[in-house]
Amino acid sequence: MARLHVARYLLGSAFTGLWRNRTMTGGAIVTTAIMLITLAGFLAINDTLNQMVTALGRKSNLIAYVRDEARPTQVTAIIDDLRTRPGVGEVQFVSKEDALAIFESRFVDQRDILDVLQSNPLPASVELRLNNPAVVPELAQELQAMTAVFDDVVVPLDVVEEVIGISNLARVAGSVIIIALTGVTLFVIVNTIRIAVFARRQEIEIMKLVGATDWFVRGPFVAEGAIIGGIGAGIAAIALVVLYAQAAPVVTRIVSFLPVSTDTDFVRNLAVFTLLVGLIVGSLGSYFSVRRYLSV
Amino acid sequence: MIVLEDVHKVYPNGTQALNGVSLEIPERDFAFLVGPSGAGKTTIIRLINRDETVTTGSVFVEATDVTRLRRRDVPSLRRRVGVIYQDYKLLPSLTVRQNVEFVLKATNEFDHLSDGLVEETLATVGLTRRTNHYPHQLSGGEQQRTAIARALVRRCPILVADEPTGNLDQESGWETIQLLVQLNARGTTVVIATHNRTLVDTMRRRVIEIERGRVVRDEPEGGYYG
Ligand SMILES: Nc1ncnc2c1ncn2[C@@H]1O[C@H](COP(=O)(O)OP(=O)(O)OP(=O)(O)O)[C@@H](O)[C@H]1O
Ligand SMILES: [Mg+2]
Repeated sequence: MARLHVARYLLGSAFTGLWRNRTMTGGAIVTTAIMLITLAGFLAINDTLNQMVTALGRKSNLIAYVRDEARPTQVTAIIDDLRTRPGVGEVQFVSKEDALAIFESRFVDQRDILDVLQSNPLPASVELRLNNPAVVPELAQELQAMTAVFDDVVVPLDVVEEVIGISNLARVAGSVIIIALTGVTLFVIVNTIRIAVFARRQEIEIMKLVGATDWFVRGPFVAEGAIIGGIGAGIAAIALVVLYAQAAPVVTRIVSFLPVSTDTDFVRNLAVFTLLVGLIVGSLGSYFSVRRYLSV
Repeated sequence: MIVLEDVHKVYPNGTQALNGVSLEIPERDFAFLVGPSGAGKTTIIRLINRDETVTTGSVFVEATDVTRLRRRDVPSLRRRVGVIYQDYKLLPSLTVRQNVEFVLKATNEFDHLSDGLVEETLATVGLTRRTNHYPHQLSGGEQQRTAIARALVRRCPILVADEPTGNLDQESGWETIQLLVQLNARGTTVVIATHNRTLVDTMRRRVIEIERGRVVRDEPEGGYYG
């Protein structure tokens, strides 16, 4: 009963305050919504890129061709060592004979080319299947350096590296933009609450003089911030669900290789996350401005 | 029980408002605080409510050492000390009733919003017919009575009134004082800062006279002038 009264008082004061100050309130809500939509957008892009990297990484191979004169014990030692490396999945030794067999099976029509040759021209090779494409460049360099053992190292690098590059760039750009937008949002919320505090300075003075607790004085303002954050996040979440429902199939159709998450779980989690961030940014922003401008 | 011990108060702008005030007001006492304008009466009241802090000296309210009060204990002190302010401090956007209700909400006394306490209090100060008026629609005396109602509704054990009859005619002023006398008879400690000479002379109760920040007279049954 008492709690209900307090809740009604807090929300009642908060809504009165928000309405009294509706232009600022509207601006703060829109800013919050834009910030959150951007945040969610970057998270969605990031998710897509991460899935791409994983998908590519699963396929990515590194092939090191073994010199004919390399000692087999040496090669075996290297293979054993490679198996213990992080990010390295399968390591397979393909002997000269295996290579020939593969070649023959693959190019059945051109068998006669080989017949011409006296000996087997195909080198033995070590093939690596990598779990983490990020280790590719370093590993390649390392194997390349073993000139006594390996003749050449072939890396299907370009695509992987490019995707990793894009994904890193997106992450950095996203972080910068999100930090900036969060800053702007906090600034707007802090100022909205500052104006709300100013509009209520007489009420605050009396509340303090009759012995209202700090919590009671701050409460309505923190509630105001939470409401701004909550409504902004609500708008962002709705926009997100609608946009995603519209955009995901289109993107998937145009660039079919893009692994865009289309499952509803992902969108729902994103929406819930957006709501939480909105509420937290809103309440924290107002809490700090109340501390700053209310000295309670 | 209110005790001030050698209290000095210098405001941040350098004004020396109190210059070694010591006084003791026991529980259930009824005391007038008199003295010329600028003597330091309001300053004393603000120190009791910890609206201001002493420069040196100490202030006790009941068992509370006000000068050493932790921040989070200030509300409980203020809930025990009801102050009627010289400048009323009414909220212009609230009606008489809302002004009175406001302080109950502020101190989390929501139960008293609906148990008739507000009506009763407004009737006590004779404002029943003005409950839905805004402060700017009231006479000075009615505003003052609203301020009194707002203090009464809190039912504090200590009531401090800063010039509560300033805007009232002789008769209303008298009624207000009778109200405070009745509260005092029922156990409230009452302190009244006033310039109202007739009132103090008629009542012949305890008088503490302040002049230039010092207690210059403290009589159990005094008049406005010594
Ligand atoms: N906030 C303040 N800052 C600086 N000086 C102040 C402040 N409040 C009061 N003073 C000064 O302190 C002195 C005492 O003021 P106070 O208000 O206590 O007097 P008072 O006895 O209540 O006077 P009055 O009878 O006119 O109400 C005065 O000189 C006043 O100018
Ligand atoms: Mg005064």
